[in-house]
Amino acid sequence: MTRPMNPPNPPNPPKATWQTDSPGPRKSTRSLQRARRRASVARFWRRYRTHRAGVAGLAGLTLLAVLALAAPWLVGDDVQSVTRAPGRALEPPSGAFPLGTDQFGRSLLGLLVWGSRISLTVGLLAAALSVAIGTLVGVVAGHYRGWISTAVMRITDWFLVMPTLVLAIVLATVLSRSVWTVILAIGVTTWPTTARLVRAQTIAVESRPYIERAKALGGGHRHLMTRHVLPQVMPLVLAQTTLGISAAILTEATLAFLGLGDPTVVSWGGMLQDAREAGAVSSGHWWYLAPPGIAVALVALAFTLCGRAVESVLNPRLGVSR
Amino acid sequence: MITTAHHRSPGPALFLRSRAGRRPHPLLRLLLAVGIAAPTLIAGPPQAQAQTRAEAQAWPRAQAQAPAAVPGTGQLMDSPASAVGTRVRADEGNSDGKTDGKDDKSNGDGKTGAGNVLTVAVSQSVDSLSPFLAQRLVSTSVHRLIYEYLTNYDPRDARPVPGLATAWSPSADKLTWTYTIRKDSTWSDGRPATAEDAAWTFGRMMKDPGAATANGSFTANFAEVTAPDPETLVIRLKKPQATMTALDVPIVPKHIWEKVGDFSTFNNDTRFPVVGNGPFVLTDYKVDRYIRLRANKNFWRGAPKFDELVFRYYKDGDAAVAALRKGEVSFVPHLTPAQAASLKNAENIQVNDAPGRRFLALATNPGARAKNGGRFGSGHPALLDPVVRRALFHAVDRQTIVEKVFQGHAVEGEGYLPPRFSAYFWKPAASQRIAHDPAKAAALLDEAGYRRDGSGRRLGKDGRPLDFRVLCHATDPHDKAVGKYLREWWGELGIGLRVVCLDNVSDPWLKGDYDLAFDGWSVNPDPDFVLSIHTCSALPATPADTGATDNFICDERFDRLYAQQAVEYDAARRGDLVRQMQSRLYDTGFMNVMVYPNALEAYRTDQIGSITTMPEAAGNLYGQDGYWSWWSAEPAAAGGAASDGGGSSPAVAIGIGISVVLVIAVGILTSRRRRATADDRE
Repeated sequence: MTRPMNPPNPPNPPKATWQTDSPGPRKSTRSLQRARRRASVARFWRRYRTHRAGVAGLAGLTLLAVLALAAPWLVGDDVQSVTRAPGRALEPPSGAFPLGTDQFGRSLLGLLVWGSRISLTVGLLAAALSVAIGTLVGVVAGHYRGWISTAVMRITDWFLVMPTLVLAIVLATVLSRSVWTVILAIGVTTWPTTARLVRAQTIAVESRPYIERAKALGGGHRHLMTRHVLPQVMPLVLAQTTLGISAAILTEATLAFLGLGDPTVVSWGGMLQDAREAGAVSSGHWWYLAPPGIAVALVALAFTLCGRAVESVLNPRLGVSR
Repeated sequence: MITTAHHRSPGPALFLRSRAGRRPHPLLRLLLAVGIAAPTLIAGPPQAQAQTRAEAQAWPRAQAQAPAAVPGTGQLMDSPASAVGTRVRADEGNSDGKTDGKDDKSNGDGKTGAGNVLTVAVSQSVDSLSPFLAQRLVSTSVHRLIYEYLTNYDPRDARPVPGLATAWSPSADKLTWTYTIRKDSTWSDGRPATAEDAAWTFGRMMKDPGAATANGSFTANFAEVTAPDPETLVIRLKKPQATMTALDVPIVPKHIWEKVGDFSTFNNDTRFPVVGNGPFVLTDYKVDRYIRLRANKNFWRGAPKFDELVFRYYKDGDAAVAALRKGEVSFVPHLTPAQAASLKNAENIQVNDAPGRRFLALATNPGARAKNGGRFGSGHPALLDPVVRRALFHAVDRQTIVEKVFQGHAVEGEGYLPPRFSAYFWKPAASQRIAHDPAKAAALLDEAGYRRDGSGRRLGKDGRPLDFRVLCHATDPHDKAVGKYLREWWGELGIGLRVVCLDNVSDPWLKGDYDLAFDGWSVNPDPDFVLSIHTCSALPATPADTGATDNFICDERFDRLYAQQAVEYDAARRGDLVRQMQSRLYDTGFMNVMVYPNALEAYRTDQIGSITTMPEAAGNLYGQDGYWSWWSAEPAAAGGAASDGGGSSPAVAIGIGISVVLVIAVGILTSRRRRATADDRE
């Protein structure tokens, strides 16, 4: 579906030979591949650049990633400390505390920056886990067909109709409270859509003649799946991951807000939960509620914008989009 | 919330779109999604969470039991003869003949129509409406309102005052108690309430273990209960019992309850109205929606001033406060400091901030054990060393907890019982007091041989770092907040702490799978129950059983003192014994009371004109040891219910803000879409 003109291990050298002067056959294959990859990345970037929303999302993400990585130097680990909190409880925004303080007197701006680390980590890892499970299931189901496919897809369907959040809540309740539990809970509840997508793509790929040729040459199941199918579904998986991250971040915030996260870890959802527990809603302390909520929304937006752009670059058949 | 989040997941939509080959504008989808998600994130929790939260607000293990089990008082010896039959001022002038007149008067008052409804916001779910099973605060409070008990507590000083019994006296050998039952109490179906009903109620609890579930501790020592005539109830005891004037057992109508088959499963919530003789009659109940009560116009002490009392469920504290601001409810308990602060400035709202009857303690696992000597659980061995416990408590700054976590709405912890119960209050002497002193804590650990390793972590005797778990109620914000402080204070000693927050702490607790735990109980005017849970006899029989024990404490000296106070009828001597018990409990170092949280509650002054707190000077309103607050509540003179609190405006502003942003976004999107498709259109 995507990159149809680039089958892996092509029998005939493509037009991209202009970069190499082929010193030897083995080395030239490898450098050829590298060159082609470079070219396709460059082509991808050229096409990606045309999506303004995608670029905006990417810029936002870069900024956020820098903030999150630099948080220990920007705000310091001390920002989480309740015993060394600098302010009074629930102070409104001021020069010293641009976003006010929480009920322990900690700076909300500092907590917001610090919380981005957990929100991003959980979002990335949970989406990666979810997509990994989905890809594995999807490729297996698409490759084997028959009763294996039927059985695996019925399980997938079962997970698909289960309300994700309810399942995640149950998991997070049963397991001990930690960041890893949340990652696991999100990961194992959101994979079915990826599995279905990947299975469809696998079936499409496997109907191509070169798969038949590989089979004829003696390629086993494992070889076919890892060498021929997987590279072809990767673009789809990449797009799905990017989109999945925003969902995972929202789910993480939701779980933390529901009090199912690790209470000693600062995250955006956890901040919302703390705000609710302090009664910030009814007492009108909007500066406690709004920043983490907006931050969650913005990050989810940024990831979605990127995901959409990636998707439409890799899959031109999706139609118009900017 | 749940459906929203589910639909939010971009997965299924993507899948459908890929096949259809078309998709809506991504920005539009996202903004809509955010628009849906943001308010739900801000607005409040879904039921699942709120449900459990509500249950834990009552300190699942703690408060659940407490109100039910309120053993005796020593007031009697002050004037053994005159106390008998003394009527409190509250019921003066309310003799038998006036009941009809009162009825007429109330009917006259009732002409104002259905306006006289007192609505109270509650969050705790009812466990059972059967007085034989109910243990939670909300259920036992309802029972106080719909059934009479033999005695009640004076709202001023919690002295026992007449309830269904007008007088009582023990025999010379302290083993036979004779109660005089009042003639002017009738069941709501018209039959008189007599000694026969009381005798049947106690007799049932003695015979049937299913009926002894909630209040069995009161009747365990009863030998025989008889009703020689309708106005006399005689209770014979096996040995003296100090709680005989504080028998917190609702007396139920025999002619209704003798038809009940299995007391362990009957929840008394099938037929309404429920026949009772308290100040209110239970007329309707829907699980987690409302409990509705009608005033009993024939109540012997005088009819309540409100015609109807409704406990309405608000699983979210913020929602309850919003309802109070709008005047939809008249009373909200369990406020947070921030809510109380903002309500203080609100018009027509009175905030009641009074010393509570609860304590919040830190309990250490003394090595869970059973009566048969079997040990179980996974408590940390280092905590069996008194030095380690002492060091941990030395590092706790109770004053900071009061100031930061409770923001002043609490009193620093001293002994076991809150200062409100002055007859029993005890505070440690300067020599035994474990004051806040981190340096001393570190020195104690160093001396005892708990050295720090290279990375600063304190090592146990087995050479492994000291890492403790503290069991916290996931639904109680205070536990989590205190946990944050403990982590840092003990972290400075080099001791690690993992805050294990669970919705249901009972399971690991009963199995002894904890190192430390946040422990809280509501204390009754008679401290017998909260003391009994630390005796050896409260331990489970075998490791497989469940005992009434709170923290697996079993101390010989404590038990000896407990046995002495249980049979002590002299108030002063009993108070002294109870103080000695607290001193002993403090010295064992298994429990350290951090704070006594205040009762923080608010009501609308334009709906409730006056209401009685208990104790009258600086007391709480919700969860009293009697029916005083709701029975005494008077409607406000002018019905100026239509007013709004000033504080609701930020919420409105936020709502308007979100709408405006959405409208603008949709507008921009539409125009961009039109531009984008301009080529196609032409």
